[in-house]
Amino acid sequence: MDQKQSKLRVFLDPLLKANPLFVMVLGTCPALAVTTSLESAIGMGLLFTFVVFFSNLIISALRKIIPDEVRTPCYIVVIATFVTVVKILSSTFLPELYNSLGVFVSLLVVNCIVLGRAEAFASQNTVVDSMLDGVGNGIGYTWAIAAIALVREVLGAGTLTFGKVFTFIPKVTLPILGGFKNSDFSMAMPVFKSSAGGFLVLGIALAIIAAVNNHKEQKAKEAARAAKAAAAAAAKGGNN
Amino acid sequence: MSQTGYIIIAIAIVVALVAIFTISFVAYIKTPPPAGCERGKGPNCENCEQSSCRFYAYAEERAAKKLKEEKPSTKKGNE
Amino acid sequence: MAYIVSFILAIVSYMVIDNVILSRYFGICSFIGVGNKVKSAVGMGLAVTFVTMMAALVCWPIYTFILVPAKMQYMDTIVFILVIASLVQMVGFFIKKKSISLYKTLGIYLPLITTNCAVLGVVQNNTAYDFGRSMANALGTSLGFVLVIFLFACIRVRLEGANVPKAFKGVPIALIVAGLMAIVFMGLGGMIDLGSWGLI
Repeated sequence: MDQKQSKLRVFLDPLLKANPLFVMVLGTCPALAVTTSLESAIGMGLLFTFVVFFSNLIISALRKIIPDEVRTPCYIVVIATFVTVVKILSSTFLPELYNSLGVFVSLLVVNCIVLGRAEAFASQNTVVDSMLDGVGNGIGYTWAIAAIALVREVLGAGTLTFGKVFTFIPKVTLPILGGFKNSDFSMAMPVFKSSAGGFLVLGIALAIIAAVNNHKEQKAKEAARAAKAAAAAAAKGGNN
Repeated sequence: MSQTGYIIIAIAIVVALVAIFTISFVAYIKTPPPAGCERGKGPNCENCEQSSCRFYAYAEERAAKKLKEEKPSTKKGNE
Repeated sequence: MAYIVSFILAIVSYMVIDNVILSRYFGICSFIGVGNKVKSAVGMGLAVTFVTMMAALVCWPIYTFILVPAKMQYMDTIVFILVIASLVQMVGFFIKKKSISLYKTLGIYLPLITTNCAVLGVVQNNTAYDFGRSMANALGTSLGFVLVIFLFACIRVRLEGANVPKAFKGVPIALIVAGLMAIVFMGLGGMIDLGSWGLI
């Protein structure tokens, strides 16, 4: 029971409590660069999940064989190998996705999250745990950049487009703030599509998370104070 | 050249680069920083503690541990 | 003559118009992490300049004269990251051994640079360019990095005394400031038309 609980934690923690982007603020380069459209953000998330899953798997399987001194070089080689695999696979099967992500597929090699998970988690834990951690981090990062991309695409383009990057699904354009049939009306703000919009959206998202955390902390403090006061009152009552 | 020839060249290049990388990595880690510039002690070292993108994290933690283990023994030797 | 002019124009273009941090998003990690010390920002920027130039100088010939003839373009990423990491290590090794003053100004930042997106991103982009343009790209990009990281450190010194809302303290306000800086730099867009100089 306890074992199962901890396995579940390993998987669930990176989704929310230790989210690699929103809480740890790692991997910000691709989070800003590929989030102009929801689809390419999801594609980036999938490639990232693939890389972090397999690098965690291999590194935790080899953790007892790799000598201590040369750990970091080994991690780099393993990660670079899987990034090369991802590059070849995506350029063959999803060329539109590969072209829209551009150089950021290669930059997965120097992604802080991949190297960080290898060093902090996979090098000290069992294969199954590391795989769960990899998938959890992948999904956590994917939903985080997908959320940013959703805001940026809706505000920046006024529409949501599907089928442009994943060509195997039919092409659909959903009008939200603009792009309606037979109408020029649009409330889209192109600044959110530009580079400045990425910084602003991520900054505001982090601020909202900080505000929620501050609120929670304050509530916990107040609850503790109330409990203390109640205990003191009870003690007084007991004395009387 | 045949397909296998290209594959052998590719493997040779990667192996050579990994060897160079590993040797230079070990050499870098094994060299102690100059006096007064140890990790966390330097004059403008707030960047050393930057938590993201720590490339040498593992090796440096090990080195710090070793230093801690060595210090008591050297003190004893002095006495 | 035209070649020199276009070289200089390309450097300026990569430096301010197509800025590495504000419009290409490379190296945001070190940008946010560098803090509010102007001195350390400049040190970081100089270290990035040095490593980017070295990496571009070494990686472009490796790609053009070894990987392309041997039909191994698919291996570019793994070769580049290994070359960059070895370069950083070797430079760090010599600096550690030879010069205390150089170590104090540059050496401290070297470990942070291997995983800096800017270096790998520049080298990766250079595979599509000729030698002159890839050098211009490396120099312009790293100068742009120095410029922005220096400006940002100066702004952060002023932010210290500013009354920032509690939720925005730290990274969020840094990102907002970066966004405003990006808007400013957007105003420079279209200043140089690289196409008319035969550079695109």
